[in-house]
Amino acid sequence: MTIESAALLQVNDLTKHFPLSGGFFGRSAGVVRAVDSISFEVAPGETLGIVGESGCGKSTTARLLVNLIEPDSGQVILEGKRVGADMSVRDMRRHMQMVFQDSYASLNPRLTMEDSIAFGPNVNGMARQKALALAHDLLFRVGLEPRRFAGRYPHELSGGQRQRVNIARALAFSPKIVILDEAVSALDKSVEAQVLNLLADLKKELALTYIFISHDLNVVRHMSDRVMVMYLGQVAEIGPVDSLYSSPAHPYTRALLAAMPSMDPDKRTMEAPLAGDPPNPINPPPGCRFHTRCKFAQDVCAKEQPVLHILPHAGHMAACHAHIPHSGHSGLEARA
Amino acid sequence: MLKYIAERILYTLPVAFGVSIVCFMLVHIAPGDPLTSILPPDASAQLQEEMRRIYGFDRPLPVQYGLWVLKVVQGDFGTSIATGRPVAMELGRALGNTLMLAVLATMIGFLFGGLFGFVAGYFRDSWVDRIASLISIVGVSVPHYWLGMVLVIIFSVQLNWLPATGAGPGGSADWVWDWAHVRHLILPAITMSVIPMGIVARTVRALVADILSQEFITGLRAKGLLDVGVFRHVVKNTAPTALAVMGLQLGYLLGGSILIETVFSWPGTGFLLGQAIFQRDLPLLQGAILTLAMIFVALNLLVDIVQSLLDPRVQRS
Amino acid sequence: MSVASFQHIAEIEKSPGYWAGVMRRFRRDPVAMIALFVVLALILMAVFAPLVAPADPYRASMLRRLRPIGTEGFPLGTDELGRDMLSRLIHGGRLSLLMGVTPVFIAFFIGSAIGITAGYLGGKVNSVLMRTIDVFFAFPSVLLAIALSGALGAGIFNGLLSLTVVFIPPIARIAESVTTAVRRIEYVEAARASGASSFTIVRVHVLGNVIGPVFVYATGLISVSLILASGLSFLGLGVKPPEPEWGLMLNTLRNAIYVQPWVAALPGLMIFITSISFNLLSDGLRSAMDIKS
Repeated sequence: MTIESAALLQVNDLTKHFPLSGGFFGRSAGVVRAVDSISFEVAPGETLGIVGESGCGKSTTARLLVNLIEPDSGQVILEGKRVGADMSVRDMRRHMQMVFQDSYASLNPRLTMEDSIAFGPNVNGMARQKALALAHDLLFRVGLEPRRFAGRYPHELSGGQRQRVNIARALAFSPKIVILDEAVSALDKSVEAQVLNLLADLKKELALTYIFISHDLNVVRHMSDRVMVMYLGQVAEIGPVDSLYSSPAHPYTRALLAAMPSMDPDKRTMEAPLAGDPPNPINPPPGCRFHTRCKFAQDVCAKEQPVLHILPHAGHMAACHAHIPHSGHSGLEARA
Repeated sequence: MLKYIAERILYTLPVAFGVSIVCFMLVHIAPGDPLTSILPPDASAQLQEEMRRIYGFDRPLPVQYGLWVLKVVQGDFGTSIATGRPVAMELGRALGNTLMLAVLATMIGFLFGGLFGFVAGYFRDSWVDRIASLISIVGVSVPHYWLGMVLVIIFSVQLNWLPATGAGPGGSADWVWDWAHVRHLILPAITMSVIPMGIVARTVRALVADILSQEFITGLRAKGLLDVGVFRHVVKNTAPTALAVMGLQLGYLLGGSILIETVFSWPGTGFLLGQAIFQRDLPLLQGAILTLAMIFVALNLLVDIVQSLLDPRVQRS
Repeated sequence: MSVASFQHIAEIEKSPGYWAGVMRRFRRDPVAMIALFVVLALILMAVFAPLVAPADPYRASMLRRLRPIGTEGFPLGTDELGRDMLSRLIHGGRLSLLMGVTPVFIAFFIGSAIGITAGYLGGKVNSVLMRTIDVFFAFPSVLLAIALSGALGAGIFNGLLSLTVVFIPPIARIAESVTTAVRRIEYVEAARASGASSFTIVRVHVLGNVIGPVFVYATGLISVSLILASGLSFLGLGVKPPEPEWGLMLNTLRNAIYVQPWVAALPGLMIFITSISFNLLSDGLRSAMDIKS
């Protein structure tokens, strides 16, 4: 892989287990394995899409990256510097910002738009007048006329306009990476398209790198250069967008794609979509976490956890016994 | 279920411990030496030293607390300075009178508060609702000791229908369920019932309005189908919360009866407390506060448990 | 970022802020406006008592004890020592309002500080603070007030101290639950992601959204505090004679109900009017601050 040495962001074995409180005097009653030892890289200028069902750990991953949640273990390496060791969390956040799903909850109802955007630069030492001028620049950038919108409160704006403000706020630090956590999921389809176009334009203009988290596979395909599929806190498959969408390797990815609504009847696969809900992440099944819902599951799947295995396509990896030689699995084609 | 009850009991223990510490400290936050309330002001230094040792005031506070708790759990609350009788004995007699008054007041308050609240919630935003809301806001705003005085002025002084003070004819100490005694109970009970009435009315109004705004009921109402079934549904859904409010209110009335008992000279714990304050009888004050607070803690626990038995959803919150 | 700066801050269209909306809604509520008017009138009356009162509230006369309402020169009669009731009621507002409002005011600051600290920091700090609060919550409020001032003894300061201790726990609990809710909202996460210190986040993002609801709740406690404060004086705790204070006046006039019942009831009426006005004011404030309505 060529991007490995040039990675802007490198994530190694990132893990977060949430203790479940309960029982007498808050004694821990178990842990939720929200994110379980995931590793990936992001190259400068690319967009990495992260997909998966709700509860798969996408949002926790995003919050771990910007240290809103403290990871239990693992490393986040930004431009070759380990966050928390070679680089402070505060410095990291200047390079990596985040946009949340709920545009309304993301904005303090008591602050005007200019104050919300100027808050970050202001607390990082920028003079108030300068920070406000920057806020006005940013509002203009995201397509909101500063004269009209700078003095407004969140409840006076539409969802799309609010999300533009949230994007402006994330850009206030001139970050290198912007994490978009379901940033367009709550918007109407027409508004969503406009915001996606804005994001694409901004990326070009400002040479940004995106981590684009969504449950919408169509949107992820449209936006991403590479895609990572998560299942129950682990990486199931990761690869270039075309390779992953045209020849998905993991049965879970296949099922997701099969369930994806397509406009083109020829492209509809005959594969059955996913049945049932994902198992409880408190007690994930042993072996491959997907084996309880996988129609290719064999004995080995319940016993051993598969590791990410490099596939013939460049940069494409999947964690499935069927693709690991000598794993004891007879392969996906045996029964399909 | 058993696990929930056990948890609730275990959670109550530290609270009860804290309450006992606060009560213990009452004597020590009192200005001056706790001895000054026991000894005559001209007591010699030697006598003071003697008494200090006898009462254990020379020991470190945690030891004093330990010895005090040890006595309290055996039912020994010390001796009243004013009467010389054991505090436990004084309290026992008064507690029965207060309990009778508080239970009756809770029932009256609950009946009328529930009625007002139900009517107000059922006919929301109508004139009935406005009147019921007015009654409930008057109920929570009125100084009840003054209301007691006004009732005495009307029914005792002006009309001469009911006695103004005491718990029986000629200050008789023993309660009998006859008209001569019961007529003493009427005014204090009505006065006291106003305290929970306003709160119960507000709670019930909100609950009823909430249930009636649920879609399937709105549908039934739109069809003109407001029958016994809907009524039963409303009652069933308001009962657990209303019951919890009632239990807590009973606890408040037991602990907060002092002002009303003072107005009516009703020989209960509140009246006793008032005397203890007036005579600076600290052992009696401490014993009465501890007993009333512990009853309140126990009632809280009981309400939670009963509520969880009636409505399993409570356990999850 | 190399974009021409917009240096026209003065031309920005300003939206009316949140509080402007609250004021607008409040002004449309006739009941709340009347309550506000009564409260302001009572406060002015208390502040300017020496100017408003027709007579000296302390001047007693054995010759004109317990005159009825409507007596010439004594429109509201005289008390058991022959002092002018009207003047005593006007002066009585000073101590009654002071003793009723001050504890809630102080408890609002202390309780909010405790609640916001516990709510924002969470974890162990929260457990320690809130479990301590629980202990004081385990007393009925009347009982706690009486226990503390009973042990401390009579006096204005002891009364204020006891009532303040009574109102800290409920305010702290509300502040804690609102803060815990606000802390989980994404704009606080966004603020944390911007590298702001906890103190700055609490000041800019938490305080503004927590203090409103807590303030409304606290105004609702003023009525309880007034009744309790006068109740303490009624029991001989709190204010000491010969100071004019409504609760104490009610106490000293208790035996007069057989002679001049309606004169004896007047101080209680003042407590009632004050208490209901504060309650209605609080209700009006609550609905005006409810952004959904």
